[in-house]
Amino acid sequence: MDLSIAALLAQDGITNGAIYALLALAIVLVFTVTRVIWIPSGEFLSYGTLTLAGLQLGKAPGTVGLLVALAIVAGLVETASSWRQGALARLPRRLLFWVGVPLLIALVLARAAPLQWPFPVQVLLTLAAVTAMGPLQYRIVYQPLADASVLVLLIVSVAVHFVLTGLGLWFFGAEGSRTPAFSDASLQAGAVVFSAQSLFVVLASLLLIGVLYLLFGATLYGKALRATAINRIGARLVGISPSFAGTLTFALAALLCAFSGVLIGPITTVYYDSGFLISLKGFVGAIIGGLVSYPLAAAGAILVGLLESFSSFWASAFKEVIVFTLIIPVLLWRSLATRHHEEDE
Amino acid sequence: MKHRIWQALAAFALVCGFAPTASADLTFGVTLSATGPAASLGIPEKRTIELLPPTLGGQKIHWIILDDGSDTTRAVTNTRKLITEDHADAIIGSTVTPNSLAMVDVVADAKTPMISMAASARIIDPTNPRTHWVFKVPQNDSLMADAIAINMKQNGVRTLGYIGFNDAYGDSWLSEIKRSAATAGIKVVAEEKYNRNDASVTGQVLKLIAAQPDAILIGASGTPGATPEKELVARHYKGKIYQTHGIANPDFLRVCGADCNGTLLPIGPLVVWEQLPDSNPIKAVAKQYVSEYEAKYGPGSRSSFGGHAYDAWMLLTKAVPVALQKAQPGTPEFRAALRDALEQTTVVGTNGVFTMTPQDHNGMDNRARVIVKIENGKWILVK
Amino acid sequence: MRGAPAVPRIATAAFVALLVAVPLIAPPFWVTLGNYIGLYSIVALGLVLLTGVAGQTSFGQAAFVGLGAYTSAWVTTQAPVSPWLALPMALALTAVVALALGFITLRMKGHYLPLATIAWGIALYLTFGNLDWLGGHTGIGGIPPLSIGGFSLRNERHYYALIWVVALATLWASRNLLDSRPGRALRAMKGGLEMAEAFGVNGARLKIVAFVYAALLACLSGWLYAHLQRFVNPTPFGINQGIEYLFMAVIGGAASVWGAVVGAALITILKEVLQDVLPSLLGRSGNFEIVVFGVLMIVLLQFARDGVWPWLARLAPARRARAVPAAAPLPSRAADPSRDVAILTVHRARKTFGGLVAVDDLSFEIRTGEILGLIGPNGAGKSTTFGLISGALRLSGGDIAFRGQSLQSLTPYEIARLGIGRTFQHVRLLPHMSVLDNVALGAYLRGSAGVLRAALRLDRAEEARTRAVAARAIERAGLAAHTFDEARSLPLGTQRIVEVARALAADPVLLLLDEPAAGLRFLEKKALADLLRGLRSEGMTILLVEHDMEFVMGLTDRLVVMDFGEKLAEGRPDDVRQDPAVLEAYLGGV
Repeated sequence: MDLSIAALLAQDGITNGAIYALLALAIVLVFTVTRVIWIPSGEFLSYGTLTLAGLQLGKAPGTVGLLVALAIVAGLVETASSWRQGALARLPRRLLFWVGVPLLIALVLARAAPLQWPFPVQVLLTLAAVTAMGPLQYRIVYQPLADASVLVLLIVSVAVHFVLTGLGLWFFGAEGSRTPAFSDASLQAGAVVFSAQSLFVVLASLLLIGVLYLLFGATLYGKALRATAINRIGARLVGISPSFAGTLTFALAALLCAFSGVLIGPITTVYYDSGFLISLKGFVGAIIGGLVSYPLAAAGAILVGLLESFSSFWASAFKEVIVFTLIIPVLLWRSLATRHHEEDE
Repeated sequence: MKHRIWQALAAFALVCGFAPTASADLTFGVTLSATGPAASLGIPEKRTIELLPPTLGGQKIHWIILDDGSDTTRAVTNTRKLITEDHADAIIGSTVTPNSLAMVDVVADAKTPMISMAASARIIDPTNPRTHWVFKVPQNDSLMADAIAINMKQNGVRTLGYIGFNDAYGDSWLSEIKRSAATAGIKVVAEEKYNRNDASVTGQVLKLIAAQPDAILIGASGTPGATPEKELVARHYKGKIYQTHGIANPDFLRVCGADCNGTLLPIGPLVVWEQLPDSNPIKAVAKQYVSEYEAKYGPGSRSSFGGHAYDAWMLLTKAVPVALQKAQPGTPEFRAALRDALEQTTVVGTNGVFTMTPQDHNGMDNRARVIVKIENGKWILVK
Repeated sequence: MRGAPAVPRIATAAFVALLVAVPLIAPPFWVTLGNYIGLYSIVALGLVLLTGVAGQTSFGQAAFVGLGAYTSAWVTTQAPVSPWLALPMALALTAVVALALGFITLRMKGHYLPLATIAWGIALYLTFGNLDWLGGHTGIGGIPPLSIGGFSLRNERHYYALIWVVALATLWASRNLLDSRPGRALRAMKGGLEMAEAFGVNGARLKIVAFVYAALLACLSGWLYAHLQRFVNPTPFGINQGIEYLFMAVIGGAASVWGAVVGAALITILKEVLQDVLPSLLGRSGNFEIVVFGVLMIVLLQFARDGVWPWLARLAPARRARAVPAAAPLPSRAADPSRDVAILTVHRARKTFGGLVAVDDLSFEIRTGEILGLIGPNGAGKSTTFGLISGALRLSGGDIAFRGQSLQSLTPYEIARLGIGRTFQHVRLLPHMSVLDNVALGAYLRGSAGVLRAALRLDRAEEARTRAVAARAIERAGLAAHTFDEARSLPLGTQRIVEVARALAADPVLLLLDEPAAGLRFLEKKALADLLRGLRSEGMTILLVEHDMEFVMGLTDRLVVMDFGEKLAEGRPDDVRQDPAVLEAYLGGV
């Protein structure tokens, strides 16, 4: 292996790592606010790419059907819970939010597809559609389980992953899709060529990491959101409803994943079931960051990307074996570190 | 959406009301991989079966189609179900080699003929007595691999790099191409593997390019075949790129786009039937099948895998009438007669001409493969 | 665990009759399904013990099934070896792998463990596929069928018999195991490691035992699978199958051995039904069953976290509890020490949390045969001191010695073995277990039955003695009427007394009580005080950490008063009551 190959592998690893990092951020975000280990984050990424690819082809993407289905279920859940709480007066407003908004987005998406609107508009539409699914998922699946243990939430997350993969095959089909590159330009630095696309991916990730870090580390509102994870009653006392925090968080996280889907589309082919492995790798990153630190999570994700890239060069057949075997000591380290932490508190 | 629900409810009522009953009708049981990793092969097969006529030789046919999700346990369960519940006269399937191999013992025990739609020659290995009841319609991988090796030799290729799926499909192609290449005096200088939904194959591609092969073969199926090819083009690989017939569907062309221009692959003739000379007997059969298929699923939707399902049907259309003269469907005698008849069948299919013998339960020859080149999203026959 | 022991014999008999009936009268495909249900039940059973009972979630069981299947497939196709000989090899290999994996991953807590099981589940699956000598992704064919004494099992009915004999045997063994000394300890792990360890349970070791047990069951199922199918390839051992196994256990009801069978049956049959119904219902094909399973899991976890089994169990009439038969008590654990010598010495004990000093150079001793009260206002450091003595917390400085042996480097279960029993300030009973079972856990250290003896039901004599000991402790605590009640059905005050009874069952030399009188009514307090006096007269030494001054004053021989982590006063209750510093601490703050 010479230096130029190493540089190319590093570039590849960092680009993929940047995508994993975005997922890692979404995972950390969701975990810190709701304690949910968000395995299905990967499905949101693939939905992002596949929605955009559908729009590109001028076909109504499967997302339309998904949104409609989710909106109907959310409407039922909301009606049932309002009925039980005897708060039917609030129901119309809630239905407007949980059913009306997603249906509106689905309608626009279905109508817009054949019109072949300009690319940036298509991207915005995609982001809107996939983002809308985040809060819907929270409302239907996780909100009723807000008091469950992390372990129960994890099992539920795996179940959600199953459901979304099955629905993904139904709505998007077995074959994959790509989207056109934002730019074909490339930068020459010595012997190594950087594609504008990968630079864009890395820069976008860095930017988002910074924004999230500031948002949650420095603003009062961000800190308050984090507090809901630790103390739900306390959060309610200071005026943050945990369900509102959850809704907001899932919207943000879904947006992050949808955005990574848009970013990854031109780099690789995405399938309905691409998400699982990508989210697991994002997870490893998130866990290296102890599921709380954004910069560490991002660094961890980049590390996974590099590891993967170099092991696919050295021993491609055993690439995943290497990556997943190396996770175990990391998990052990984190687990022991966390335990120590708890003891001191 | 609403219509579909009502239709579905009506269909459900039908299913509940009319459970299949055993009769003198023919029963063909199908298990294929319409979901799971092999879905892109299984789906056209399933669509083809759904197009097939409801009668044969004056007998009504019960088609029972089950999905095995590319999983061996499921394939075996399905086969047992088709045999014991539905009393199938013949089993068609499955799509992938491991599933078909796992089914061999089941059909041998139940003495039911089976027509596999998977490629490996191991499924019909004549030295294994258990394969007595098993036939196979796709071209042996070795036949296709030989075609590639011959074409490479003509193009002056001396060294070859291989990148393929990290699964049974990729493994099988790797071992076949190594054998074919050795016969043609071509050296395999690099072997790499990747996963269907890998986000990046940069590492593998860099290693391939570093080995500087004259040509590279990609052993993959469906759209994932485009991932290494696009990466090779992006890394300015200048040699020839070969694919296998696994990728031949319109989605691959859509995803790969202009990057795949010039790619060569061996394939069953049906994909380019328009370009075959009229003298080729396959042309008429392929035309019949492809027009029917594309009338339903859209122009360009053809795939050689759907053709395998159709070829299984072609075998049955020849063999069933022979067997009917000896016994009634639904009896062990009929199944034995059907097996014997299949072993004697000579028929023209969409992917080739079958000449079955006790030693060869595939019976295809060189007419079962052509080399095509991808040009601007079209399959062009290389003469 | 309320389900398992309560299944009436008649229901079990009906189930076995149904099993026997299937191959005789049902359509042959039912036998096929029955085979898979049996195979899956065996794996899910392991998960019931590992996840449902011991609380360790694993998504990776399919890999152990693969280990069993591949070992036997490889051995029997390489050489003309009998599959029966391959079985011990497969079990040995699985045990080694499980020990190694368990040793590393079971140290993880909470969500780290399940994530780790996903990781090695994927890694092992891909390893099977990439080893050419294991047939690669294509797999190994031509595996010989099983034969029993020259009779070759060639058709599915033969396998059906074998699979269900094995499944019922493992079911029986697992049920026995849960209803035994190690089983109680295993169940106690769900109530928190700290509680189990307070009665001498080595939690880390027990977790590994459960993990290996579950892995061996999975391996057994894999071995049967390989010879039933006579072909193995990696796909049935992937992570999705591993997830499905866990779903089976959770959907069936992971708290009961029968939940495993119910879950396996439910998922297998549902899969068949869905395959027949859904495509015609939806008009197209897709991977719908995983959608349905996923939705089922979500709904179940939202509305009925205990799975389907408890619902079914309720249909059957509950088995009436029988009186505990008399049996000779278990051997006493420690010889009575001579009276009025120092048994526990706290010497300049110090505990800091970050910058906060919770216990500051505290020294006192407990003498045999006395009741020593440790009192002080809120935040004085009483509970921290209690934690230091019981081993729940580590000393930052100083030393604590019990009968001359330093406790400093001992784990809570080692401390328990020395003869120190304790109760918990926040009641730590297993809510679904009977009072008798809860108290019997206390006698853990007085028995010796291990997993194998328990599974084979060779522990009955000892078990009868354990139950007799527990019943006696309950009776002494005045709770005989509640012996068979579920712990959660008792008022909190009574649950505290159950805690005392559990500690008594351990036959400790030194009894540590953490606020036992909190929440008790007047008469209950009086009864508790009488009980403690009785124990003292029999030579037991008691350390009482308490808030309730009146209770302490009338009962204790000596008092140690703490404030701000330091000892404020020490002496007879009457003297301490007059101590100006104590008055200042108690009254001055008011």
